[in-house]
Amino acid sequence: MFFFRNYKTIVFIVILLAVIVTVLSCNLKQKSSGGLVSRVVFEIAAPVQNFLNSSFKNVSDAWYRYLFLVGIEEENRNLKKAIDHMKSQLTVYQEGYLEAQRLRNLLDLKENKDFDFVIARVIGRGQTAFSQTILINKGTADGVHDGVPVTAGPGLVGRIMGASWHSAKVLPLIDENSNIDACVQRTRTQGIIRGAGSLGCILKYIAKTQDVREGDVIITSGMGGVFPKGIMIGRVSRIDRLESGLFWKIYVAPVIDFSRLEEVSVLTSAGGEDEDEK
Amino acid sequence: MIYYLLLPFLAILLIVLQNMVADIIFSGAMVLELSIIVLVYAGFRLDLIKGSISAFVLGFVFDCISGSVLGLFALTHVLVFLFSFFVSAMLMTEKMFLIALFTFFCVTMEEFIVVIFYKLFYGFDMLPNIPAAFWLQAFIVGSLAPVFFYLMRKVEVFFYDKPAQSAKWAGTG
Repeated sequence: MFFFRNYKTIVFIVILLAVIVTVLSCNLKQKSSGGLVSRVVFEIAAPVQNFLNSSFKNVSDAWYRYLFLVGIEEENRNLKKAIDHMKSQLTVYQEGYLEAQRLRNLLDLKENKDFDFVIARVIGRGQTAFSQTILINKGTADGVHDGVPVTAGPGLVGRIMGASWHSAKVLPLIDENSNIDACVQRTRTQGIIRGAGSLGCILKYIAKTQDVREGDVIITSGMGGVFPKGIMIGRVSRIDRLESGLFWKIYVAPVIDFSRLEEVSVLTSAGGEDEDEK
Repeated sequence: MIYYLLLPFLAILLIVLQNMVADIIFSGAMVLELSIIVLVYAGFRLDLIKGSISAFVLGFVFDCISGSVLGLFALTHVLVFLFSFFVSAMLMTEKMFLIALFTFFCVTMEEFIVVIFYKLFYGFDMLPNIPAAFWLQAFIVGSLAPVFFYLMRKVEVFFYDKPAQSAKWAGTG
């Protein structure tokens, strides 16, 4: 190694590599989110990401607004028709909602309003070959802490895997490291949803004796206490029936389009739990 | 001294930018590690201590922001830098096609280290599903490397009146 002329340089490189390997092995054992240094880096990165993201969004919005001006009159007419149609639908749904309320009272079921939500904006994404985290603009100062579930509109997004003071990292359910207790809504068969990256998710540990069909809705089972019961995860897209072994290999298409995610709601605390704590 | 003070902030800016570019262009379907180009540039131009500290900081920031195991990309980034430094001492590293080819190789090498790491420690066997994305990423980053080197040469000329190495070798002078 002719370029290592100065032995101090060699010592420095060896020490640097030793430090990195030590940090790596510590994190492998503890599976922590990195401690204070990581939080500080994260805290500095969040506003930069937010600024760049909003700048890009402003430019792209202006461009799309210009594009949308073309044919806006026809679109306006169509939208008015759609509004009329939706108004009539809304009346039907309101009736259905009131009927459901009455039935709920009859059955003495408690309405599921036990969670406090924090609405957060997606300000960026962190991607590696095996990890696809989402960065949001709410942190511990807003009540967001490690492990709490994150939802968006129709279904589950994932859970918080690391929070700094004003931002947090979300581990989406399609991440390879994500495991969630789930069940098939139709048959109540329970399994584990594991992230599979661009393939969506895989529902594991469903025995071949169980009845699962393509299109079946998969929801959270509420087991484990992390995710509330009944949040929609996705639909069965494919069942690998040729797979050998005791269990089906079931592919699930998440209900959330992760590439278009802009806002999420973080379930910061359960009302029931709060009462218990008090 | 000011270099070391600015380094973490520049690293954060670079990682955030590369994440955003990948997100806009590929909608999260692919990663675009532009930081590898910077590492190769550092390997060809900077001294060993300055370059390895830069590689470590860049990798560490990448680990923190991307949510991977802390230290993994710090290690791969330092290894890529050391490899580039070693190659720069052995070869004439000014030719543009060589820069593109070498960057392509470094990106592929880094991705395979990561794949092997995850296979060994987490049991993820993703190798059959991702080579296409890997090659594509390596190809894009490799193609962008000469552009980056060309721009940096212009910056060097602007600030120091002459590039760090002869432009005759690169065919850009």
